[in-house]
Amino acid sequence: MSAKHQTWGWMLAVDFFFAGMGGAMLVIAGLADLFVGRDSVSLLGSVVGPLAMCVGCGFLILELGRPLQAWRVFMNPKAILTFGAWMMTFAIIFGFIFASFAIDFSLFFWRDSALLRHLVAILMVVTGLIVATYPGVLLARHKGRPFWVGPGIMGLFLLSSLVTAFAAHYLCGLIVAPRNVPYLWEAMPYVLGALLFAQGLLWCGYLWIKLSGTSKSEAASAKRWISGDQSQQFKLAFLFFGTVAPLILTLIPLTMAAAMAAVLALFGGVTMRLLTVNSGNDRTMIPGEAIYRSRLPKGHEKFLGKAWL
Amino acid sequence: MARYAIVMDTRRCIGCHSCTVACKVHNELPTEMVYNPVVSDGPHGTFPNLSMRFLPLICMHCENSPCVDACPTGASIQREDGIVYVEDKKCVGCLSCVMACPYGARYMNHETGAVNKCNLCMDRVDQGLVPHCVATCHQKARIFGDLDDPTSEVNRLINENNGVQLLGELGTEPHIYYIG
Repeated sequence: MSAKHQTWGWMLAVDFFFAGMGGAMLVIAGLADLFVGRDSVSLLGSVVGPLAMCVGCGFLILELGRPLQAWRVFMNPKAILTFGAWMMTFAIIFGFIFASFAIDFSLFFWRDSALLRHLVAILMVVTGLIVATYPGVLLARHKGRPFWVGPGIMGLFLLSSLVTAFAAHYLCGLIVAPRNVPYLWEAMPYVLGALLFAQGLLWCGYLWIKLSGTSKSEAASAKRWISGDQSQQFKLAFLFFGTVAPLILTLIPLTMAAAMAAVLALFGGVTMRLLTVNSGNDRTMIPGEAIYRSRLPKGHEKFLGKAWL
Repeated sequence: MARYAIVMDTRRCIGCHSCTVACKVHNELPTEMVYNPVVSDGPHGTFPNLSMRFLPLICMHCENSPCVDACPTGASIQREDGIVYVEDKKCVGCLSCVMACPYGARYMNHETGAVNKCNLCMDRVDQGLVPHCVATCHQKARIFGDLDDPTSEVNRLINENNGVQLLGELGTEPHIYYIG
């Protein structure tokens, strides 16, 4: 922990980003294999998916107060974080096994078995979908966190995961072209554009609902995004650079424009998660509690040192 | 089996913070950790008809405790008597419970890397004593007792005064009741 914070920090947001993107990349790769054909996504994309989840796990471990005891998060089957940790582990394993089918290496004797590949693809799609969705479910269950509570955040996280996954698959395809079915890769910018449109629309709707239709604390937390301390980052970084600008770029039929759109969409995905996790600082307060807590010392302030001397 | 609860009588609380200090001293808490804050609500009304009340807060030791459900390591435990505590050696400091608690009753201890919280002085309770915050309250604004005992003072106070639970709409079923 870099700072003395009492809520989740930026590393968890980055974990959510990599886990969501990686999980959704597995879903896309698996579905493409099952319904379009073998090697219809880039080999690099198939490797980057599980690798991204590994990076996400690394950030999650660094976020812990006791990183060396990270294995303990697998211990309580009732906790959603434990469920997510197990699913992420399975998704990583299935992801790497699936990627091995596309690697020309004699030791991978299973690579010609279509049945096994399809089975792994199905398992990968299921676990990948859970990994892409579960951060939203995790946040949505926090009754005392007004910005998160409710099912809406789950849909937004899943949508963002798909946006970032299509962007990452497209960029990977630029570096290592898919062996088969090139039209799938060529169609990705259009799918990305449609998802970005939905993302912009749903986020505006989500904030409007939080602002107008629910409790005072939910309205106050939404105001931070519209006119408060998070509004600049939301409007400029996420809405403009992370959603609208890439949406416009996807409409330009140039590879360079689509690549820029993909990079900006990834930037938007990180920004969205940073802002959302930061909104966890807002809690439904008991009358008088906010004033009391604002007056508490934040650490070993100078005046305390003087008082004891 | 007992089911422990505290009744906070807001008519008696004068906001002296004795409970806060007693808890901090006995548990040797760092400066930023306060298990027993006493917050003030008000003043309400217009002069000369003004009113103000003090709300002593504490971990609610909820029947349906979201912190216990959220803990991925099983470090957050609820005993059969309702006391919720953290087994320090199992805690990895993931903050899941801190985020899940709607009452802000859990704190990250940055010196140990684990999460700490009020355990209702369970070592004292097991010896038949009351928690430090209850023992030190000279106004008798905190009343400790057993909800399963129909003759207990906490049951009588809750029934006679329509005791309420904070943020009861969340369905956490706190074991801390407020009257006044």
